[in-house]
Amino acid sequence: MSAALRRLGRLHPTGGAVVAVVIFLALYAIYAASEADATSVFGLTNLFNNTVVLAIASAGLTLVVLAGEFDLSPIGVIAIANVVMATTSVGTLGWFGALILVLVIGAAVGLLNGWLVATLRLQSLAVTIGTMIACEGAALLLLPAPGGAVNQAIVDALTGEVLEVVPVALVIIAGVLLVWLVLARTRLGIALYAVGTDAMAARLSGLSAERTKLLAFVLAGVAYAFAGFMLSCQTGSGDPRASDTLLLYMYASVAIGGTSLIGGRGGVFGTLFGAGILSVMQKMLFALGAASFYTSIFSGIIMLVAIFIGNASELLARVRRQRVA
Amino acid sequence: MNSTPPVLEVRGISKHYGATVALRDVSFVLNAGEVCGLLGENGAGKSTLVKTLSGVEVPDTGALFLAGSEYRPRDRNDARRQGVATAFQELSLVSTLSVAVNLFLPDPAVNRAGLVAMRQLERQAARILAAHGVSEIDPAALVGDLALGQRQRLEIVRAMFRRPRLLLLDEPTAALSDRDWLFDLVGNRLAEGTAILYISHKLDEIRRLCRRSVILRNGQKVLDRPVAEMSDDEIFRSMAGRSVVERFVAAPSALRADAQPALRASHLSSDGLEDISFTLMAGEILGVAGLEGQGQARLFRSLVGLYPLRSGRIEVASDGRMVRPQRSPRAARAAGVVLVPEERKTEGIFKDLTTIANVSLPAIDHASKLHFLSRRRERALVGQVIGDVDLPEHFLPLSIAALSGGNQQKAVLGRALMARARCLLLFDPTRGVDVGAKQSIYRMMRAFVGGGGAILFYSTELDELVHLCDRCLVLYGNRIVGELQGPALSQELVLSVAAGHGLERAAVSGR
Repeated sequence: MSAALRRLGRLHPTGGAVVAVVIFLALYAIYAASEADATSVFGLTNLFNNTVVLAIASAGLTLVVLAGEFDLSPIGVIAIANVVMATTSVGTLGWFGALILVLVIGAAVGLLNGWLVATLRLQSLAVTIGTMIACEGAALLLLPAPGGAVNQAIVDALTGEVLEVVPVALVIIAGVLLVWLVLARTRLGIALYAVGTDAMAARLSGLSAERTKLLAFVLAGVAYAFAGFMLSCQTGSGDPRASDTLLLYMYASVAIGGTSLIGGRGGVFGTLFGAGILSVMQKMLFALGAASFYTSIFSGIIMLVAIFIGNASELLARVRRQRVA
Repeated sequence: MNSTPPVLEVRGISKHYGATVALRDVSFVLNAGEVCGLLGENGAGKSTLVKTLSGVEVPDTGALFLAGSEYRPRDRNDARRQGVATAFQELSLVSTLSVAVNLFLPDPAVNRAGLVAMRQLERQAARILAAHGVSEIDPAALVGDLALGQRQRLEIVRAMFRRPRLLLLDEPTAALSDRDWLFDLVGNRLAEGTAILYISHKLDEIRRLCRRSVILRNGQKVLDRPVAEMSDDEIFRSMAGRSVVERFVAAPSALRADAQPALRASHLSSDGLEDISFTLMAGEILGVAGLEGQGQARLFRSLVGLYPLRSGRIEVASDGRMVRPQRSPRAARAAGVVLVPEERKTEGIFKDLTTIANVSLPAIDHASKLHFLSRRRERALVGQVIGDVDLPEHFLPLSIAALSGGNQQKAVLGRALMARARCLLLFDPTRGVDVGAKQSIYRMMRAFVGGGGAILFYSTELDELVHLCDRCLVLYGNRIVGELQGPALSQELVLSVAAGHGLERAAVSGR
């Protein structure tokens, strides 16, 4: 048991992830106590549908953050993915063709970001502001005003339940977690942590920071595109501005989940719960009858609390390890 | 014999960084089963040479040959594949990864699914560590939780276990107190025919290990001769370009008979410190000796409030009375107690600031008018201390990152003087510092106690402790196990007590 825990700890070398799980469960308990629908299949599907876009996009962002870089382009990629889905998924391409197309676009934007940051060594914050604006522009060009339609088949299938019991969105989030758990144990996963912790030491150890960061941006780009795909299924139509508010919530999910914004510590596991916290909190406040503008205040407070407890537990863990040593 | 080409031949390599020449037309050879010393002050080009051989830097001109064929490593991995392994001075370990993963970077073994098999890796790591005589490091521990000395061991084992043809050891004992461990390993590798380039500041190590040594100065090779043929003075002269006749000039103690206590620690206890008591007198250099990880780092940090204490009392002299400052670095500084920390690169300097800004920091209030800094006054204030630490004035406007380790340390010491310290806590201040700068630091220490200051001085180099200190405390297992002074303060006895032999027993066997 303790060995298994230690192993888990190694995959997520931060106290923050555990804190996020605890906070999520606590908030969900309050929500469930005040809203009868919370534990029904319908209520759960609704909750996970509200979470899935943020969760997938934040998972992608986590990879870039772990490697020690910033990425502001996700909302641009999501916007493009959304309008492409709204304009092509009904026609000749079909939903699957459109999905492949948006994933390729996401990978291409990620590749561009990665090339500019990793190969040309430009600052990621500046570069990705540029790609974000360009992508949002491209989305407006494709679909100047909200409209279009997303293939009804996926709108129905991906917002419902598997066998009328398990929310599809939950299955997708679990799939993202599985991909992460595999990725974290590959050489690339280890390289992400190494490069994000200490780029010089990683280089002297023979790791390529350039290749690692490039791959992080590409995988992140694919994740953003997939998040855009899921957003399209939720809304059923295209809106080039639909993703505008998402970016800060993505960073909030990453931070609440215990990932260090300067890189090298954390993981997608915590991020998924971070995203879960942000959406279950909205549900909880609504169920409690709080006015909607309280939601933002609570989001902020929860974020501060999570980061505070995360750091405190990290400190405790360090003291404990020192005592053992 | 002549038919086998040397393991390494360096032929006329040069390397420039902008206007600075790091290496100029350096050539030498290294044979199988040979360990060759590489000596030079900081900034002489040693590290650049190591990086060039390791595939981190590409030389501008010249060529390298490995066993007769041309060797142009594209990167670290290419160098490693061709049998060149390096233990870097700055330790190339990743703190958030485990010992086992670090050992096998960059390509830890994966199973058929492409996943890194942690358990297997840890078992393998444990075997490798044990085979290299390292038993106290848990392969599953995060490197960030290891003591500096343990990290250095890991770095060395990582370079050695792949059985390289050419092994580069860059200052391998900088944070190591058990040097015999390393010397045994070096002996084993030599017996297997590995060629070793051994970079060090420490002449006694070079004398002990190497038959031959190359000396660099300002990027040029100035000497390549058997070590036995050269006197210490000759070697220092070649390195420094000047004579350092005697490393330790005997100086009378500045400690007066009627000296008052400057700092008194009573029964300090915490996690990793057990009942530490001592009194540091004004005018005294009080040494602290100990193998790595015996509590010395925690002791120094607790004295300025950087490490929490469970119990105990710290008193500092103030206007003839002993007062108890609050436990924070700021309060300690206000009471005149200043720590010069272990990790110069991360804790000592502000690497993005100029040298003058690094020195003047504690005193900028005195150089400001209406909160605007007067450059002229800053210069004048700094001018008062740089002479004491031999920091040349023309370094002041440069970024401190551009300075050699020795000059950076002088700037850090200058800053401590600037803060009007009365009690300096120096934690291994000469680590990774060149011969000339060491002499400057010794001079500065003596002048400081001569002016009534007090110094608590930890060093990994025993000869420093023996020659500079009035008394020396020896730590073992987080407690003070001995206090040596006068004729008993000898390297042999310090080492024996530090290794855990009781003082009485050691004293008896030492006779």
